[in-house]
Amino acid sequence: MRKVLIGCLISFMFILESVFLELLPTDPFGKNWIFVPYFLLITILFFSVYGNRNVGVLYGFVFGLLFDIVYTEILGIYFFAFPFIIYIFNKLMRIFHSNIVVVSVMSLLAVSALEMIVYQVIKVINLTTIDFASFLHLRLLPSLGLNLVFIVIVAYPYKRLFEKYAAELKE
Amino acid sequence: MPQFFMNKRLIILLVSIIILVALIGFSLSDRNKLTWPEQFVKDTTGWVQTLVSRPAHFVVGFVDNVKSLQDTYKENKELKAKLEENAQLKYQVQGLKKDVQALQETLEEKESLSDYTLMKATVIRRNPSQWTELVTINRGDNDGVEKNMAVITSAGLIGKIKSVAPNTATVQLLSSEDPANRISAFIQPKEEDKKNKSKTEVFGIIADYDKETKQLIMTWEEVPNGLKVEKGQLVTTSGMGGVFPKGLAIGTVEKVEPDENGLQKKVFIKPAADFYDIEHVMVVDRAALSPEEEEQ
Repeated sequence: MRKVLIGCLISFMFILESVFLELLPTDPFGKNWIFVPYFLLITILFFSVYGNRNVGVLYGFVFGLLFDIVYTEILGIYFFAFPFIIYIFNKLMRIFHSNIVVVSVMSLLAVSALEMIVYQVIKVINLTTIDFASFLHLRLLPSLGLNLVFIVIVAYPYKRLFEKYAAELKE
Repeated sequence: MPQFFMNKRLIILLVSIIILVALIGFSLSDRNKLTWPEQFVKDTTGWVQTLVSRPAHFVVGFVDNVKSLQDTYKENKELKAKLEENAQLKYQVQGLKKDVQALQETLEEKESLSDYTLMKATVIRRNPSQWTELVTINRGDNDGVEKNMAVITSAGLIGKIKSVAPNTATVQLLSSEDPANRISAFIQPKEEDKKNKSKTEVFGIIADYDKETKQLIMTWEEVPNGLKVEKGQLVTTSGMGGVFPKGLAIGTVEKVEPDENGLQKKVFIKPAADFYDIEHVMVVDRAALSPEEEEQ
């Protein structure tokens, strides 16, 4: 039962990213900041730590591919980056204690890592002319703020939900 | 050396990088159509997303409506004043339309570049990564949407159709920094210059977007014929790029700067339409045939 629930939750986050942007008012702070929601990645990261790592990487593949086809129309970038980030994230989490604060901070780092990787690829294929300094203050920092708020809201419910899922698997 | 090939993870990483490069190359190549799996996925997800995004828009719209009730009295007054102006404009437009028709008949010209039909559509999703500004609308091949058609809101031009699936289509907004995203445009002469017949429209190509100031950048090769571009002049589509009709509003001139080489001028244009708050759009189908269609 929980399996289906988690699948639905992740699909919902996939849709929520787009709906969130549609409903976000134009330039809420008047500073031309770009807010990039990473609700989907954060959900899968929490799932991979508290739930199941391999299933997490698999979700990364499936939703990365969906993300590429449905949203960006450049196949390959998120298809490759999502599973890669999730895998590395879990390797690193083995070193640290999987405390909820550590997981939250690490997932923010993972979001920045993903942003940087995608920025480099986009820059190489010549789809943006924005320089690194503007990228940092126009895009990365506001997005990290937005995703931090999201993490603070969902971290505890996610931990409980995914731990119950892992316990169910063991039985 | 055998150790290298035994390392499974390294091999997987290398193979996936090769696949990554191949896939990116494939999707950046100038393809006319999406592959059928892509079309299928786009349509199915589009259907699901409509189910979620409609109620969300409805709730937010309701909250906004309640808020705007407070300003109703003031707005009503302004609107009444505008209504009178509108009635006058209507008569003027009717007269002008008749004139144009009569003139076209004498010229035996059936379709002008500014004739078009509109198709209403609703936005169902937006690219969250925002590197390429893409929105998807709920009309597709089955409704007669084709690649490269212009898409407008009531305020002005917002972009063109990038790809088409049977029931959805993707619109590339003007705010995309894609170098392939070019639009040929006119800068309309100012009112006082219109009387002076030697001064005509300035022609240029909109090829870039400045993310920091949210302005479109048009390159204009200045010819020494006395034409000047000033702040506040209107910019519209020229209809010469192939598929766009003539006369769709794009924006107003903000400032003019020489470019890096000093050979051309960069004209910064403040877009007329809001690229962020888009819900209802219209797809523009030009009446005049594009050069490709004429060849067929």
